[in-house]
Amino acid sequence: MRIRHSLATTVTALAVATAVAACGGTTAKVGGGSTVKGQPERGGTVTVAEPSGASPNDIFPLPAATNTNGYNVNLTLGEWPFLVYVGDGAKSVVNPQESLYSSMTWSDNDSVITIVLKPWKWSDGVPITARDFTFVYNLLKANYNDWDDYDPGLFPADVTKVTTPNVHTVVIDLKRSYNPAFYTDDVLTEVPLLPQHAWDKTSLTGTVGNYDETTKGADAVWNFLQKQGSNIGTFTTNPMWSVVDGPWKLAQFQSSGYYVWVPNKNYSGPDKPILSKAIFTPFTTDAAEMDTLRSGTSLTIGLLPLNDIAQIGALKAEGYAVASVPTPGVAEIVPNLYNPVNGPLLRQLYIRQVLEYLIDRGQITSDAFHGYADPGNGPVPVTYGQQWASPLEKAGGPYPYAPAKAEALLKAHGWNVTPNGTDTCQQPGTGAANCGAGVAAGQKLQFQLLYASGSAYFDQMNAAIQTSEAQAGVHITLKAEPFNTLVATTATCNAASHSGSVCNWQLQQFGYQPYSVDPNGSGIFNTNAVNNYGGYSSPQMDQLINETEYGSSPSAFFAYENYAAEQLPWLWLPNPSGVIVYKNNLAGVVPSSPFDFVLNPEVWYYVKPAS
Amino acid sequence: MTGYLIRRAGQSVAVVIGVMILTFILLHLEPGSVARSVLGLKATPARVAIFDSLYGLNKPLYQQFAIYVKQLFQGNLGISYQLQQPVSTLIAQRLPRDAILLGLSTLLALVIGVPTGIYQAVRHNRLADDLLAGTWFTLYSAPDFMEALLLIALVCVQFHILPPAFPGGVTSVTGLFADWQALVLPVAVLAINSVAGFSQYVRSTALQVLAEDYIRVARSKGMSERLVLTRHVLRNSLLPVITILGLSLPDIVAGAVIVESIFNFPGMGLLFWQSALAHDFPVMLGGTLIIGVATVVGNLAADVAYSALDPRIRYGSA
Repeated sequence: MRIRHSLATTVTALAVATAVAACGGTTAKVGGGSTVKGQPERGGTVTVAEPSGASPNDIFPLPAATNTNGYNVNLTLGEWPFLVYVGDGAKSVVNPQESLYSSMTWSDNDSVITIVLKPWKWSDGVPITARDFTFVYNLLKANYNDWDDYDPGLFPADVTKVTTPNVHTVVIDLKRSYNPAFYTDDVLTEVPLLPQHAWDKTSLTGTVGNYDETTKGADAVWNFLQKQGSNIGTFTTNPMWSVVDGPWKLAQFQSSGYYVWVPNKNYSGPDKPILSKAIFTPFTTDAAEMDTLRSGTSLTIGLLPLNDIAQIGALKAEGYAVASVPTPGVAEIVPNLYNPVNGPLLRQLYIRQVLEYLIDRGQITSDAFHGYADPGNGPVPVTYGQQWASPLEKAGGPYPYAPAKAEALLKAHGWNVTPNGTDTCQQPGTGAANCGAGVAAGQKLQFQLLYASGSAYFDQMNAAIQTSEAQAGVHITLKAEPFNTLVATTATCNAASHSGSVCNWQLQQFGYQPYSVDPNGSGIFNTNAVNNYGGYSSPQMDQLINETEYGSSPSAFFAYENYAAEQLPWLWLPNPSGVIVYKNNLAGVVPSSPFDFVLNPEVWYYVKPAS
Repeated sequence: MTGYLIRRAGQSVAVVIGVMILTFILLHLEPGSVARSVLGLKATPARVAIFDSLYGLNKPLYQQFAIYVKQLFQGNLGISYQLQQPVSTLIAQRLPRDAILLGLSTLLALVIGVPTGIYQAVRHNRLADDLLAGTWFTLYSAPDFMEALLLIALVCVQFHILPPAFPGGVTSVTGLFADWQALVLPVAVLAINSVAGFSQYVRSTALQVLAEDYIRVARSKGMSERLVLTRHVLRNSLLPVITILGLSLPDIVAGAVIVESIFNFPGMGLLFWQSALAHDFPVMLGGTLIIGVATVVGNLAADVAYSALDPRIRYGSA
């Protein structure tokens, strides 16, 4: 699947509405919020708390590969939305009404897309046309290796040609057939339209031309726009950035990450902003944000750290409502199948099954995440995108917490099980009753779990895992390090490349892997995929993923999902949801899908209390 | 004196260069890949190669150092890997605000600490002295984060008197004063911990000064107690304060990471802390360089101030 790097990594999103009873012993809390009643008011200002580190540093909506700051999209999305808009109330689905296209037709065995654009206009009054799409395509075609959102093999590398039969129609010829749902959900949701009539130039004082139509020219325009986009001192003064097609324009920006949106008065879309201003203000820590919320004065909306769930009552007393929205991604422990010591162990499916059977996801959800989490039954979250969750996952997944089954599996494979000690292999060999290939007699069942420090609830979760694994004699040692240190000292390891100190890690837990709308496993679980950190490889998995990406069988997705859930390329964990607090006179915040929470203040409005 | 200053300036330059070389080497000895740290989970080999090439990290270490030194002479501290902004800009944005925050807190601590130190010396071993000493040491021994959180709970959350954090939009010095209410608590918290130091140093020195012959002479000649205290005791008791102030200059440059974090004040402390976590070498190098300069300048300024306050101190003569 495509990694929706932007929204997913940035916004711990929230939704209401869908209350999901997760099987496997727990109930996940999802939703909440209040129904705001009263007379809608035009105007007003909202102040949105941004989390620590939320400092956008680039305004050009096609970020360079060396700038992975996921907060940049939060800054740009309101000004230059993607061609395909995601989020319809609480539903994680494509929203054609909000999207820039009026129709999208697939033909020639799903290898040709005909997109008709809506007759909308840029903020300067110039119509949005197919030329704006070809401008983006030309820039990316010449520079996709330097584009942060590029996924190997996909747009624009998979395009043979783009034609524009008329001013509002774009025809994209692809190199192969795709599953239209996959391509629409995961690829076209990351392509914005950009104003060719204002941006196709190579210097500030130069005139606009058709430079993008040659590779050399596209390079020059790309480099110019990248340079201008990273000049934070000119975000609000550079006239190029004032030409937008989204509902908002940037009115203020400060290097701290503070910025202000005001309505684009010429926005053509259906949801014209009702508020007069949206302020995004950064906080150095969760505690600073929490204190400000508790003081009840300056913040309209913010994220509530799960460690502060107990403060909900006090916040409600300060005039806030509370709601939660699932996080669009999958939480996991990645096993390194090519660790020099424990790789042979982790390559055994039964060992991964043992590890998963011993994770008490229900207890983690209720204790560490206070009920605000997806239960983590498999690769697809069940709390958002109900349409994607298979019956197997909805029923609790293939490996609900079952210490007895874990113990039995180990004994069946020749292990001397020592609860609360460390199991050892007694029957080496490759037979059905043996420990498995590469596992020596006397080898201990012990692993080190690396995880990112700084989050009390992850500390609690991993301590719980350590304890529950010990019940069947699986000895886990925990090591927490800053996230940047973790990623600096570890690397993707696989059969082809697993040497050096960067592949000494055994198990690691980074948080969660963000998903796009269509949560298939492409880019994650297929052989040598970019995000396949632990080196899992299976021809069957590759085929199943390909069928979700290129085929059109409606059953392909569940086939992939169930296989991945059972094969455990990663160990599945509960994924904490986002919990938001917002002033109880602010309407429109909920229901919200995981993909547009906080990024769509155009649908928010204040209400006067009902008299 | 001039010769002394020139010698000290020369030593200072050598110290700063030494700090720079040492820091550069230590940072590059840090395990792990800078590119992977900055690019995170998207650090494919192709992206790492682009990153290393962009920032010259694929060059031998001595070449990287030579480039860094050359840039320094051009007034260029490099570009932050993480924030994608010039390091000089990042420091220029934060340093004045930290100078205001820490300068005000130091001033407040002086205003409280020096007179109370003198007062304690005059009233030494009496109830007032014991009470003040007890109070200062209690506050001094309490961690500043605890004081900050208690004050926020009381002043901001309970009674809503002051804001608990700086508004995110405050980035300029003038903006700080426009939101002066947000300055009150961080200045107070920082001052609380400094008052004990100032007052006890002043008290200790003042006790010695009060026992000096010239004080007895002044009193015997009929000089009023107020004049004795202000003209003789105060001036001579300030010498240790000068040392503390000189040594606090690097603190002002380095920021106050805990107070900055709690009060949402993005200053130098947070900048360095976050850059250290992110392996952001240019920011760490730039910060260390500035702190090194502040350290030698602070020491030099303290020496000069010593000589100005105490004519018996003369530098440069054998």
